[in-house]
Amino acid sequence: MYHFDWQLFWNYIWPPTALQDPLIRNGLIATVLVSIIAQALGVVFGLFAALGKMSKFPGFRWLAEGYIWYFRGTPLLVQMALLFFGLGVTHVYDFPDIKYGFLTITGAIQAGTLALAINEGAYMAEIIRAGIESIDPGQLEAAKSLGMKYSLAMRRIILPQAAKVIIPPLGNEFNNMMKTTSLMEIISAGELFFAFNQINARVFKPFELFIAASLYYLLLTTIWSIVQARIENSLGDRKGQERNAGMFQRFFAGVTKGGH
Amino acid sequence: MTTAAPIHITPDSSIIVKAEKVNKYFGKLHVLNDIDLEVRKNEVVVILGPSGSGKSTFLRCINHLEKINSGHIYVNGHMIGYLDRNGKLIEDNEGNISRQRAEIGMVFQRFNLFPHLTALENIIEAPIHVRHVPAVQAREDAERLLTRVGLADKRNQYPNQLSGGQQQRVAIARALAMKPSLMLFDEPTSALDPEMIGEVLDVMQELAHEMTMIVVSHEMGFARAAANRVVFVDYGQIVEQGTPEEFFSHPKEERSRLFLSQILH
Repeated sequence: MYHFDWQLFWNYIWPPTALQDPLIRNGLIATVLVSIIAQALGVVFGLFAALGKMSKFPGFRWLAEGYIWYFRGTPLLVQMALLFFGLGVTHVYDFPDIKYGFLTITGAIQAGTLALAINEGAYMAEIIRAGIESIDPGQLEAAKSLGMKYSLAMRRIILPQAAKVIIPPLGNEFNNMMKTTSLMEIISAGELFFAFNQINARVFKPFELFIAASLYYLLLTTIWSIVQARIENSLGDRKGQERNAGMFQRFFAGVTKGGH
Repeated sequence: MTTAAPIHITPDSSIIVKAEKVNKYFGKLHVLNDIDLEVRKNEVVVILGPSGSGKSTFLRCINHLEKINSGHIYVNGHMIGYLDRNGKLIEDNEGNISRQRAEIGMVFQRFNLFPHLTALENIIEAPIHVRHVPAVQAREDAERLLTRVGLADKRNQYPNQLSGGQQQRVAIARALAMKPSLMLFDEPTSALDPEMIGEVLDVMQELAHEMTMIVVSHEMGFARAAANRVVFVDYGQIVEQGTPEEFFSHPKEERSRLFLSQILH
């Protein structure tokens, strides 16, 4: 009969005590910041890839297609290892630590964030393209007939409308992103899962510690589901349109959507 | 502006639109067949024709929403959409095309209002971001235009809160806000419920006193009341043109008579 170490377990799930451990504290901060930055960059990469894919210039189309093909067709874990260890040995870029006062962004964090962002961009490209293509072509024609160039029409007319279609799946992508940051464990990037692994290496209580780790991710995704529901509702309200699915529907939809 | 577009001045400066031997194909289908048309300042031209005759396509070529395969279209004396290099048409750059489109108002069958913007915001969008009119002035102009189309009280409504007729009137105001020298109407009442057609035609008729207009529409009442000229198009060709009186009462061509008998019954 396994002896469950309740004291250790409570110690690590109860934030006031758990966060006293710098590993957990920094891991939590890293997971949240990396998720936000990687997702934001992923949206930017995705936007360029989506526009590239819809471009009338074949060169841009091929570039975008190739990017999406490769990064959706290969495992993120492999991409991350390739970027960090692979690029490291070539000395093309060594991922040196970046220091801003008290804040140190380690090379592993940089590489992990970048790999997550590039991978995410390939998925966001399809989401953004679908969003743009869901807009009636008459909108672009009306914008053009008023003398708007393509770029202005995109920025002022098409993308604000497409955003409403893009934001719900984007929210789900972010939910995935927070969980997927745990893959950075293999490059020792010091995020949440790495922190629990380190502690486990010291005390060997994998059952207690990994349940605790999972509950932290659950906390993050749950908080996000609530935020997401608010964002989507306010989006509906502002445009004088009907409200989206309720918070609970959104909550369960958010946490049951699988990762890539 | 990267390169200056060569300026083609048509002989008579009072000509707003001049189409010369315009041809267009959709694959093998010859949608526009040697179309020649001149529209003078303040003239109101109504283009009639069976569906699929090419009338809407021609209208959309005038602001280069559709490409042409050969021929020339001049608006305000400048060729639109293309540069003529020794008889070969080369598509013009986006900046030049956009600048010319800004002078050409267009009203669409399905209104195409921007659903994420209020009526007022729809109207001020292009003046502010294309013409760089100060926001305060753009708003004043927009309020005046909304009053003119009878929708001053709807300025803060979103398109989905307006009826079809109201949306189309906002769309007309939106086009007018750019102070265009030419207005194109592409079947502006075809998507409307019958009881709303009148309010849109009233606005258009009012406008006909002071604007150069090309209207693709089957509204005979409007053509009779407001058009200087009716142009009948069939199979991508101009079959017949004349004053509304001549055309509706004494059509010369057999195809015109057939068409009129169909739309009158």
